[in-house]
Amino acid sequence: MEDGEGNGTMAAPLAEVAVEISGQRYVVPEAITIIQALWAAGRRTLHGVGCLGGVCGACPVSYRLPNELQAKTGLACQTLVQEGMSVLTLPSDPSKGARYVLPSHLPEKKDLFASYPETRRCTSCNACTLVCPQGIEVMGGVRAALNGDFAACAEKFTACVMCGLCAMVCDVKILPHRVGLWSRRMHGAFVPKPPQLVTRLAEIRDGRFQRDWEHVLQDSAEGANSPAM
Amino acid sequence: MMDVVNESKERINTSRETRQGEKFPLLAAADKEKLVQRYHPDYRAEAYRSLRLGPNQGERTVHELADLLEGESPLVRERSTLSPDRSVDLLIIGGGGAGAAAALAAQPLGVKILLATKLRFGDSNTVMAEGGMQVAIDPDDSPVQHFADTLRGGQMKNDKVLLKTLVEEGPAAAKWLMDLGVLFDREDDGNLSLRSGGGSSRPRLLRCKDYTGLELMRVLKDAVLNEQVEILEFSPAVELLSDESGACAGAVLRNLDTNAYIVVSARTVILATGGIGRLHIQGFPTSNHFGATADGLPLAYRLGARLTLQDTFQYHPTGAIFPEPMAGILVTEGIRSVGGQLVNASGGRFVNELETRDAVAAAVIRECQEGRGVTTPSGRVGVWLDMPMVDRINGPGTLEKRFPNMIRQISRYQIDIRRDPVLVYPTLHYQNGGIWIEVNGESAIKNLFVAGEASGGIHGRNRLMGNSLLDIIVYGRRAGRSAAERAKSIANAGLTLGHLERFEAERKKGGGEAKVISPMLFPDYVRKEEKVKTR
Repeated sequence: MEDGEGNGTMAAPLAEVAVEISGQRYVVPEAITIIQALWAAGRRTLHGVGCLGGVCGACPVSYRLPNELQAKTGLACQTLVQEGMSVLTLPSDPSKGARYVLPSHLPEKKDLFASYPETRRCTSCNACTLVCPQGIEVMGGVRAALNGDFAACAEKFTACVMCGLCAMVCDVKILPHRVGLWSRRMHGAFVPKPPQLVTRLAEIRDGRFQRDWEHVLQDSAEGANSPAM
Repeated sequence: MMDVVNESKERINTSRETRQGEKFPLLAAADKEKLVQRYHPDYRAEAYRSLRLGPNQGERTVHELADLLEGESPLVRERSTLSPDRSVDLLIIGGGGAGAAAALAAQPLGVKILLATKLRFGDSNTVMAEGGMQVAIDPDDSPVQHFADTLRGGQMKNDKVLLKTLVEEGPAAAKWLMDLGVLFDREDDGNLSLRSGGGSSRPRLLRCKDYTGLELMRVLKDAVLNEQVEILEFSPAVELLSDESGACAGAVLRNLDTNAYIVVSARTVILATGGIGRLHIQGFPTSNHFGATADGLPLAYRLGARLTLQDTFQYHPTGAIFPEPMAGILVTEGIRSVGGQLVNASGGRFVNELETRDAVAAAVIRECQEGRGVTTPSGRVGVWLDMPMVDRINGPGTLEKRFPNMIRQISRYQIDIRRDPVLVYPTLHYQNGGIWIEVNGESAIKNLFVAGEASGGIHGRNRLMGNSLLDIIVYGRRAGRSAAERAKSIANAGLTLGHLERFEAERKKGGGEAKVISPMLFPDYVRKEEKVKTR
């Protein structure tokens, strides 16, 4: 059952497709990801590969399908090759975040503009949303932050993998993914702490579980299989 | 062959109604032990051998890891000068969750830190964690209960001191993350939304949909960068350095783009190099990130640091196997914790889905070995994970609300998990053991600290879901604090490779030939044929 080849290559021959990757043409098995196609084509990967699970954002690509004018974007570890596909691998997010400390108050618009002043320039062109491989309504998130609704912005960016494609296509140099992360952290830091957590921290501080600990440690030291709890 | 898969799938879709509400009993302790010992990959004798040299000589581990531990340092044949290119107080090796937490704990103590990582900062197993983080905060729960569950889950082999600290500091770790801006899912009353995982007797999982690790890593990375900790990417450690007394004194890194060595003198070193999935132990596919090649283990081992529980690995029960390119991709245990069922080829359940992972994986392997699995066109065998059952039990829209990542990932393969089940088989997921540490994170070698998956002892022989995110935060911070405090009390030492000379001398005295150069750094998936196909 275990094939000894891990996730890298195929266990059985499959149909093949012709693709072009960064200017070179290859024939590779169909229904594999662009990263797997790079390996199948004999290319070593170092930059532009990370988790292979679609969440680290290291592998953005732009690709064009035959008879389509508009290039698409995606993550190389999550995008399957297709016949006639032409792929350009893109750099991992080169943008730098602003340096900031979490303020001691609920975030306001002026705090956002202190960190990311260019956010004000948003022209609502929606290019950021169209390019997002996670299907995030990016522009909506940026507009929410501009309205000072950081909770709404935070919610929209939940699935953001920080690939930075949105920033690459922004005409006015906004860093939408960083605005999203900023909003998430600012909002998160000031949501009231959950009551059950506050209670538990106090209980631990007051030594509430001392007697239970003595029992369970004694039981487990005696090798009991199921400490009676 | 395709028809066989489709026919079986139809049986699952039609048997859903009868399976709903069906109770499947938990195994008695003795039966579970029997199941695990008969079918779990940890018990396949032919996969193991005794280590021929080093601190754990004579003890067993799998061939793939033994080769690396007994491997030869690149510096044996390719000497580097030992005059330091960089001199710092604290060197952190590894840029996942544990390394980041260590940096954040060390920074306020005013030490000069360098964080070196093999890929980009944040590219790690942490970022992929889907299920959540276990913290005992429910009023009906307690750290003691968390301890007892984890100990049972770990086959009673956990280090109890490490484990007690883990669970006791859990609530404080959760608060620390929230203070940094981590957003966990809440209920309408403002309390955290808690769920159960396999082997947990109480709801205890904090999560951010099925993006929990991504949420943690995003915030930790941002916080570390805001603290202006110096980061060195694409620069893995290839050897550690020792002083005259044998204590750790730094590391030799390799710049992956130029192949140049970077010699770093450090008063203390934290290894936070993560897991082993890309070793593909026993040929298993893996859920791990591209760099999960156990690098810290041979480095620490050659320096003389003892390992513990180095013979036990976690095979996550539900790795997708079909269609073929999806092999290894994880389907989160969270799916089973809200009613997802495991079903064999004939449409029947065969295990309680919330047994611990070792038992569920063993049960899946049993079904497949005994002819009750489904064979895919490329020859893999698996069982069905029935995910549409989740919406059926909890109401339509549950999968969409709770598991957006799962839906998105699997939809790329034209499968809608709201309508159809997915074929699964265990996938190599976690290294249960690792480098032995004491409760402040220090290894058996002075000034060498270890945090996260590279360390061993906390989880015994089987980790419970949600305990590794807790581990990297609690022990990442502990290692960061203690390594920084130590660094403030000592000076940078003279750099030697004395440990390597001792290791090679031991090899000559009967340790056998080295089979590989280690650390491995990356798996090799690149097709070797001279001629690449074009059309």
